[in-house]
Amino acid sequence: MQNDLKIPIGKLLRADASSFVAGCRVHELEAPALGALVKVKLRDGAETYGLISNITIQDDGLVRQIASRGTLSPEYEADNRYNRNLPVEIFVLTVGYRQAGKLFQRLPPRPPFSLDALWLCDEHELCDFTENPAYLRHILRVQDQPLEELLVSHLAQAKAAHEVMDPQRTNAEGEWYGKACKALIAYLRDDYELMARVLNALGELETK
Amino acid sequence: MSDLETTPTGENPPIGYVTGGGLEANLQVRLEVPAHEVQEGAFVVTDSDRWRFYGLVTDLQLAATDERFAAESMDRRFTPKLSQLLREETLYTNLVMLPALMLDRGPDLASPEYPAWRELNKDKIKPMPVKTIPAHHAPVRLANRADITDIFGKEDGKNMFRVGETREQGHPICLDLEKLVKRSSGIFGTTGSGKSFLTRMILAGLIHANTAATLIFDMHNEYGPDSTSSDTGAAVPGLKSKFKAEIRLVGLGAGTSFGKLPSDFNLEIPYSEITPEDILLLSQTLNLRETSAQTLSALVNEFGQEWYKKFKEFIVGAMETNDEGKKVPAPKSVAYWAEGAGINAMAAEALHSKLQRLFRSHYLVETPAENALQKMIETLKAGKHVILSFGKYDSELDYLLVTNLITRKIRDTWEDWTDDYHRDSAKNPEPRPLVVAVEEAHKLLNREMASQTIFSTIAREMRKYYVTLLIIDQRPSQIYDEVMSQLGTRISGSLGDESDIDAVLSGLAGRQALRGMLAKLQPKEEVLMLGWGVPMPIPIRSRRYDDKFWAELKGGGTTEAQRKLGRSMAGEPDDSD
Repeated sequence: MQNDLKIPIGKLLRADASSFVAGCRVHELEAPALGALVKVKLRDGAETYGLISNITIQDDGLVRQIASRGTLSPEYEADNRYNRNLPVEIFVLTVGYRQAGKLFQRLPPRPPFSLDALWLCDEHELCDFTENPAYLRHILRVQDQPLEELLVSHLAQAKAAHEVMDPQRTNAEGEWYGKACKALIAYLRDDYELMARVLNALGELETK
Repeated sequence: MSDLETTPTGENPPIGYVTGGGLEANLQVRLEVPAHEVQEGAFVVTDSDRWRFYGLVTDLQLAATDERFAAESMDRRFTPKLSQLLREETLYTNLVMLPALMLDRGPDLASPEYPAWRELNKDKIKPMPVKTIPAHHAPVRLANRADITDIFGKEDGKNMFRVGETREQGHPICLDLEKLVKRSSGIFGTTGSGKSFLTRMILAGLIHANTAATLIFDMHNEYGPDSTSSDTGAAVPGLKSKFKAEIRLVGLGAGTSFGKLPSDFNLEIPYSEITPEDILLLSQTLNLRETSAQTLSALVNEFGQEWYKKFKEFIVGAMETNDEGKKVPAPKSVAYWAEGAGINAMAAEALHSKLQRLFRSHYLVETPAENALQKMIETLKAGKHVILSFGKYDSELDYLLVTNLITRKIRDTWEDWTDDYHRDSAKNPEPRPLVVAVEEAHKLLNREMASQTIFSTIAREMRKYYVTLLIIDQRPSQIYDEVMSQLGTRISGSLGDESDIDAVLSGLAGRQALRGMLAKLQPKEEVLMLGWGVPMPIPIRSRRYDDKFWAELKGGGTTEAQRKLGRSMAGEPDDSD
């Protein structure tokens, strides 16, 4: 595991059994992307994994005033952009955890604690965790956002990682992306509407 | 079947698993292989706990997890790869399995209880009609050779006669000839369906196995002499050339031969053998009036066995002048006899006129050169086989009269034989089973005729007397229901008419499921076997009636040297030089 490649991208604000929210500064926002695999290291050595399901930038009173003022100097605007009072919020959907070196694709026994650091997983860890696509079922819990877009974002990253890490694995049976799509279809086969939306969205990944 | 051939190894891989259904509605099986790898009529097996179930595929149905996936082409909406994955996950085929038999396999083969169970049940383990169903998700596979052997037996060169192979994997299917002859049976199929070749093969099997004597009413000279295939122009060996010593060719009337083959003897029927019942059977064909029975009865009362001869000699309309100068019927006239017998003269004259067709038949004679009728019976009793050619006497009238008359004599003989045997089985031999093969059976066994001919009696009752029918027909719907219901074994080639299909399946369990199978049989190649005589219904690719068939049947091989050996073993002259 190449720990030096993992990037801290924020600190935990709040959490529950199936999701958590981290806050970060604006300049830290360049690394994480929608659908990226992230993790939080717990104090007992365990790691909770999640997918970034949303990123929100809340306004505050000052930003509202500035926005309504018209033209501002670039320095003033940059100062208010990067030195905000409120952090950027990264919403994470919990998809599994690692304990005593063993990977589980179910919800962890306990959520992480506030101010625990949020780390972006590298390609190795992304491939390692996503090898079994069963974790995709967690994504289907998402209700307040366009689920298919989250899936496309995540699968695009995971597909690219697997292709880089294991370029020989391209046959139909063994190819990771095909396996993931198959698992998704199996999960969604009783929901025609959602399936159609998801597959239409995934089409973009194949045309590239 | 005490020695099962099934082994844990060598089984075909599963093709699907049971998802629902029942005994009435048949079993639903979700296919896990492409639909085209399984065909309607395939013999399938499913194991559930200690039971093994055997059944037939009767239908294949396309299904989807959601009908909307099936309703629209996926390729138009999604990328090819996703479409393919989607098809695999959401579209599938349901197989309908008609469960027919089940077999107790006992405890697990590796369990300590198995040897004791096997020892206790070794003579009892045999398939039985299905009475329960397999559990959900029981795996279903195509039957292998051992499964087929467990159910249909193994070819033994005698009574276990191979009639064909399963359509998918070509496993041999046998017919138990000993069982076949215990009840009447039928071979059906439209013209060109291959029923004549199949009949030839089954008759050859019966003759070779020496299972029963056979009497074949050969309307069209198809079975005795060699002939030529109307489709291919190839030479088709007749039964006589293959069983020279076992078969007697009998020609109806003097001079009747089997094409180039001479008859072994000719059948001339003495007038004295004809009964009023034989004539009344022809009522429809001769258009007889209701008064005919009365006239015939009066003739028998007056002349006894000579009634036919006397009546034939009468002259219609012969008159003479009496002492008073009046014209009156002459003593040799029909009217003269009728007046004396108290019969309406016009009715008697009408009957005489209608019997002219019989009076002109040359096979009906006052005194035959030999008692060929009795000779036929003796030949059959001796275990030989008789093929009767009708030669130029190929009208419906001749066929009805002769077949009925001969069969009546046979019934009387076999009834006496059976009674003697039952009275004292130590002194009297057991009667030899006799199969009477009847072509164009609907002419004798239609609704109008069945009650009058001897054949319906044979179909109904004569199995107790060792006589059964082998009915060969292209219109089974024309055969009387009551006769059809008595047929133990039914073998049918393709049938086009709905009513014929219904008739073949009448009285059988699962007939609705078998309808489609019967309707879709490939002409000349496939037949459906069903009924009491076969363990379960099964469509097969029938054996080819060719040199290979004869080489295999008679113990020869496929080389000339092997064929020569086969002929030698069969006691046939070596005519290869």
